Amino acid sequence: MSTTPPLRVLDARYLEPPEPFVQTMEMLDQLALGESMRLLLFREPHPLYQVLRRNGHCWQTSLLPDGSFDILITR
Amino acid sequence: MQALLSFDQSPPLAAPLRFFLTVPWFAVLAGVLLWSEGATVFASRWMPSALAATHLLTLGFMLMTMLGALIQIFPVVAGANMAHPLRLARVVHGATSVGSLCLALAFLYSLPWLFALAGGLLLLAIAYFLGAAGLALRGQGLANPTIRGLKLALFGLWVTLLLGLGLVGALAGGWRLPWAGLTDLHAAWGLAGWSGTLLVAMAYVVVPMFQLTPGYPARESQLLSPVLLLCLLLWSVALLFSAEQVVRLAEAGLALLGLLFAGRTLYLQGHRRRPRRDALAAYWQSGMLAAILACGMLLTAAIAPALAQQRAWPLVFAVLLVAGAFMGFINGMLYQIIPFLGWLHLQNAGRGTAPPMAKLMPEAPALRQWWLHQLALLTLLLAALWPESFARLAGFCWVLANAALGWNLWQAVRRYRQYRQAPMASGQGGGVA
Repeated sequence: MSTTPPLRVLDARYLEPPEPFVQTMEMLDQLALGESMRLLLFREPHPLYQVLRRNGHCWQTSLLPDGSFDILITR
Repeated sequence: MQALLSFDQSPPLAAPLRFFLTVPWFAVLAGVLLWSEGATVFASRWMPSALAATHLLTLGFMLMTMLGALIQIFPVVAGANMAHPLRLARVVHGATSVGSLCLALAFLYSLPWLFALAGGLLLLAIAYFLGAAGLALRGQGLANPTIRGLKLALFGLWVTLLLGLGLVGALAGGWRLPWAGLTDLHAAWGLAGWSGTLLVAMAYVVVPMFQLTPGYPARESQLLSPVLLLCLLLWSVALLFSAEQVVRLAEAGLALLGLLFAGRTLYLQGHRRRPRRDALAAYWQSGMLAAILACGMLLTAAIAPALAQQRAWPLVFAVLLVAGAFMGFINGMLYQIIPFLGWLHLQNAGRGTAPPMAKLMPEAPALRQWWLHQLALLTLLLAALWPESFARLAGFCWVLANAALGWNLWQAVRRYRQYRQAPMASGQGGGVA
C-alpha cells in the first residue's frame, strides 16, 4: 500500500524579500513530478507566477480571512 | 538561474529613477515660494501663491512619484506590464514636470495662455499613463484587494483630471463654471479618490512586505476602497445638489474610513517582526498619526461645521494631509524603493552578489532627514495658525528637509553606480516573490 507524502509547506509571511522567492524555488526543485507544495504570503507573488508559468507548474491561489494568500503549487 | 527569470518583468531602472530624483526639487521650489512670499501664502486657500505651492506639491511631488512608482511596480503587485515603459516614463515625466511648473507660474502671474499650456501638458501625461495602465490591468480580476484598489484609484485619477481640466478651462478660457464647488470636488477626488485609494491599495502589499507585519484582514481590505469611493460619490452628488446634511454624513463616512485604515496600519506596525526602526517605519508611523489628526478634523467639521469656517482650519487640514501624511508615506517609500531597485538590478546584472540594501541607502542620514521633515511639518502647522510669525521659517525648514531628501536619494544612486562599475565578485542571482 502506497502512502502519500505529507504536503510541503513554506510559510514565507515574515521573510524579507527576496527570501520567499529563493526558498520557494529551492522547495520546488525538491518536488517530484505531480507533487505539490503550499506557499503562504501576505501578497500575491506575481513575479513567481511568471516563473511557474514558464516552467509548466500549476497553481491555485486563495485569500484567507487573515489576509494571507494560500498558493498551492503542483509540479 | 530560474531565480533570474523574475527580473524579466522589471522595467529599466531609468524609468522610475527619473521621477524619484526629480520630485524632491519640486517640494524645494514650494518651500522657496513660501520662504519668499511669507505670510501671504497662508492668508487664504485661494491665494495664487497658495495654489501654486499646493500644485508644486500635489503634482510635482505626489503625482510624479506615484506615476513613476506605478510604472515600476505594476508587474510586481498586479502582474501587469505596461507597454514600452521607458518611452512612457520619458513622456509622462517630461510633460508632468513642465506642466506642473507652468501651472504654478500661471497661478502666480495669472496668465491664461500658461494655464492652457499647463492643462494640455498634464492632459497628455496623465491620459497617456491612464491609457497604458488601463490596458495593462485589462483582464485582471477584482479578487485581489490591491488590484481592486488600483483600478478604483485610476478611476479617481480620471475624475480628478477631468475636474482639473474644467478649472483650467475656467481660468484660461473664461468658461462659466461654478469654480468654487469644482475646486472642492477636484481636491477631494485628488486626495481621497486617487491618492488615498492608491495609498490603501499599496499598503496592503508594502506594509507586510517591507515592515514584516501581519497582513490586513481580507474582508476589510476588500471593502475599504469601494466603500471609500461610494462615500466620495455620495459626497460629490450631495455637494452638487447642495444637500448639506448628506454632505456632512458623507464627510463623516470618509473620516471614519480614514481613521479605520490609519488605526489598523498603526496596529499592524505595532506587531512588526522587523526589530529596528528604519526610515520607512518612522515615516509611515508619523504619517499615520498626521492622517489620524486630519481625519479627526474632517469628522469634527462634519459634526460641527461652524468650526471649519475659521481661516486656519482648511490650511491646517491640508498641511496635515499633504505634508504630514501623503508626503511622509512617499518619503518613506522612496527610502525603501530606490535601494531595493538598486539591489535588484545589481543582483541581476550578472556581476555577482549585490551589496546589502543598507549599503546603498544607510539608515542614519535617512533618519536625520525624517527629523528635518518633522521639524518642517511643525513649522508649517505653526505658520498655518500664525502666518506672520512662522511662514518664512516654515519655508526655510521645508527647503532644508526636501533638499536633504534629494541629496540622500542622489547619494543612493551614486553608490549604485559605483557598485555597478566595481570589479565583479562571485555569487548568484536572486529575484522577488
